[in-house]
Amino acid sequence: MRGAFCWAILLPCATVATAAPRTLGFVITTWNIAAYETRFADECPLGLNPGYDELWWRGLSKPDRAKFTDNGLKSRLERYFVAIRRGPNGEDVCMNPTSVKDPPLMLVEGEKSYGMDLDGKDGVATGKSCPHQEFTGLDGTPGVDNQLYRLLGCVYGFRSYGQFEANENENRKSNGKGMTLIEVTGVDDVRNDPDVRVTIYRAVDQYTLDGSGRFLPYGSYRIDVADGKPRYSSTLRGKIVDGVLTTEPGDVNLPFYGNYTYMNRFLRDLRFRIKLADDAASAEGMAAGYLGVDQLMFYVGGLGPIQSSAPANCPSIHVAAYEVADGHPDPKTGRCTTLSSAYNFKAVAAFIVHGESQRYADGWFDRVRRFISDLRASN
Amino acid sequence: MHRGFASLLLSLSLLVLAACGGRAPKTSGAEPGARLLTEPQYRSIIADVFGLQITIGGTFDPLVRTNGLLTVGASLARVTPAGFEQFDRMARSIAAQVTDPAHRDYLIGCAPQDVARPDDRCAEQFLGRVGRFLFRRPLEREELATRVAEARRAAVELGGFYDGLAASLGGMLVSPSFLFVIDVVEPDPDARGSMRLDAYSKASRLSFFLWGTAPDEELLRAAAQGELHDRRGLERQAERLLAAPRMEAGLRAFFDDMMAFEDIARIEKDSIIYPAFSAAVASDAREQTLRTIMRVVLEENGDYRDIFTTRKTYVSGALGRIYHVPVDRPDGGWTPYEFPEHDPRAGIVTHVSFTALHSHAGRSSPTLRGRALRELLLCQKVPDPPGNVDFSKFNDPHSPARTARERLSVHALQPACAGCHKITDPVGLGMEHIDGAGQLRTAESGVAIDARGSLDGIEFADVGGIGPAMHDNPAAPACLVDRMYAYATARPTQRNERKYVKYLEREFARDDYRVPALLHKIAISDALYAVRPPVEPSPAFARNTP
Repeated sequence: MRGAFCWAILLPCATVATAAPRTLGFVITTWNIAAYETRFADECPLGLNPGYDELWWRGLSKPDRAKFTDNGLKSRLERYFVAIRRGPNGEDVCMNPTSVKDPPLMLVEGEKSYGMDLDGKDGVATGKSCPHQEFTGLDGTPGVDNQLYRLLGCVYGFRSYGQFEANENENRKSNGKGMTLIEVTGVDDVRNDPDVRVTIYRAVDQYTLDGSGRFLPYGSYRIDVADGKPRYSSTLRGKIVDGVLTTEPGDVNLPFYGNYTYMNRFLRDLRFRIKLADDAASAEGMAAGYLGVDQLMFYVGGLGPIQSSAPANCPSIHVAAYEVADGHPDPKTGRCTTLSSAYNFKAVAAFIVHGESQRYADGWFDRVRRFISDLRASN
Repeated sequence: MHRGFASLLLSLSLLVLAACGGRAPKTSGAEPGARLLTEPQYRSIIADVFGLQITIGGTFDPLVRTNGLLTVGASLARVTPAGFEQFDRMARSIAAQVTDPAHRDYLIGCAPQDVARPDDRCAEQFLGRVGRFLFRRPLEREELATRVAEARRAAVELGGFYDGLAASLGGMLVSPSFLFVIDVVEPDPDARGSMRLDAYSKASRLSFFLWGTAPDEELLRAAAQGELHDRRGLERQAERLLAAPRMEAGLRAFFDDMMAFEDIARIEKDSIIYPAFSAAVASDAREQTLRTIMRVVLEENGDYRDIFTTRKTYVSGALGRIYHVPVDRPDGGWTPYEFPEHDPRAGIVTHVSFTALHSHAGRSSPTLRGRALRELLLCQKVPDPPGNVDFSKFNDPHSPARTARERLSVHALQPACAGCHKITDPVGLGMEHIDGAGQLRTAESGVAIDARGSLDGIEFADVGGIGPAMHDNPAAPACLVDRMYAYATARPTQRNERKYVKYLEREFARDDYRVPALLHKIAISDALYAVRPPVEPSPAFARNTP
């Protein structure tokens, strides 16, 4: 009977050994910085960092506090646009993080972290990395590189009870931008396969949710296409062992949207470790690679008023980011330009739609361009 | 959908020629009657006469499904006071929309001299034109004069021409001449002592059968000129209707009725158990099956029985999540899809529109599915369960029985239940690989499902075997013929028509089970228009009637 149930590309079917390789599709539903947090923030022995508002407040005289806050009645959100412009010439310190000299960022000092060993070294400098302290994985794995966590782990807004991470996921859920598709091709056996390909795409269709807002598996998603080619299509080699898919490292363009910022997130030496559910209807895993400091600061600089409820301070983060950066030294300055990082994610099974139907998935500009092109051709 | 119509007509003509050898048994039909418009017919007529932009609010009284069809139930329906209130409300709303400033310029077709005063000329022009389509016949001179007088009186009382016109139009829309399709008979000049339907009644019967709506301008013209009493004239009109794109809507209306799809609007599923099921799924499920049937029987002019085995269908984004198949247009629209050979799903009986509709809110139901299959698609009667049936063992949440088969095996031990379950369950249990929402599954409550089943002596291993069993079951095409003829006449089939229906079944088989050929045969038949003279009341009845 099992043989009769190999109908779907997503379902395992061990009895059909000679079947053509199949394709697994997933849409990522949640994506978070892999941050190890203890109950009492022991990893941050000096406490959590002050945000932009606290630093602005500290710098004000008593009369100015009264003046700028309507005698203390203005909320953090209402005074954001004054507080953030505390540069010497009224600069927005998130857009111009070097315009002020703020207290140094308090970093994570704990020994444990989620993540992977990205450099294969013990944190010593190589041609490809800068000296840095490494973590021990929660399972005791040594040499875990996760400098993004070291940088942001003690920033309130980036912790699990801060708002940035939750808001990012909610943004993607509500408007469907920056949704990431994972396609695994060449799968002969979803439990064990020594050679598969993992390709990352961006979806143009919204999440499929049930009436309660929960993610539904088996939705169809068209990929983002420009000029007939996928806008995102980074591919990694991988293998599946006992239902766990791991990939070799490679440079990957990840579509990203969160906290009202859309960006192409370029992660270098990114690798995945994905645990597939037995029925392949869902998956969860970790991605780890190097994130450019410039990319991080582009995102942090655009956080805007959300910081009023999720404290962070851009200038302190900016300075510290370069201090803890551990990857891809600049050939001229020798200063590292990327941060080792790790992300936890969850996904549900999805159908990734390619082919002729992609004409519908073109963006608005593509459609207008095609319309004009057709019009010219017809004349 | 209609690229094959030219060749279809040609083949129809050939089929007609080929069929000339067999003589159709004579029928005497039924007494002339009156049938309440069904909801789809009402909506179609309003859309045809006034356009789709006129919205129809309110609810229609439910009809009693009779001989498997609501259309037949309409021949036995009466308008209740509450039902009339709804018709009146709808009529007022439609009339108000037709005469409002947004629509009046292009729907009324004339303008009064003074909008604050009555205008008999414009009222007569509008009411005469519209009334002919609504009543499916020209209005008598006195009848039209009465409607115009109503418009005049209301215009004076309400202070405006359009208000008066709306009042009169509203009156027409609650008139029995609109709400009921009335058989009008006249002496048959070709058979002394016999009656026949008058030309307009013939036009209505033909149009409601093939298009599911009232006659159009050309059919009314043909009726006015007596062409429908002439065989060639009738054939010309029938073939025109069959070749028109509108034919698809008429055929959809028939299958919608036959499949009892009106219940889909009321379908509810437990969102915890079936999170992927939604109102969109239910609505799309109906459309999916109708599209699938139309492709087989109309677009491809194929064998009707193939609807039970075809792997080709259409899926929407919502259905894709239930069937676990990809769709090209997740944001709307339909994607042609063909279930692969190794997929057990094939044919309309495996569609969500059947499996989910005939299930409970939180679980499948072999009994409901078996019953629906037998009653709707094989025209077999399954008795209702006895009033004192004990479901406690079946519904016991602590029962060790984990699958429907195990639960039913306990339940069906009750002697009062066993008889009917023997009719429904063997085929219904064969569909257990599809859950109550229409999704494939292999296990229930962690136990592998035994989905063996049987239908009238044909045994199969799982749901994949139901399609072929239905395809080869002689009751399936016979059922279609039975339903189609009853739908055409819109009344229960009479005893004197049984031989004719048997004849149609044979002809259907001879025509390789092509539905358009069957439609054509019925549309030009004498049987469709045959009427018996009404039975005179007995003298005793007449004496006692005030």
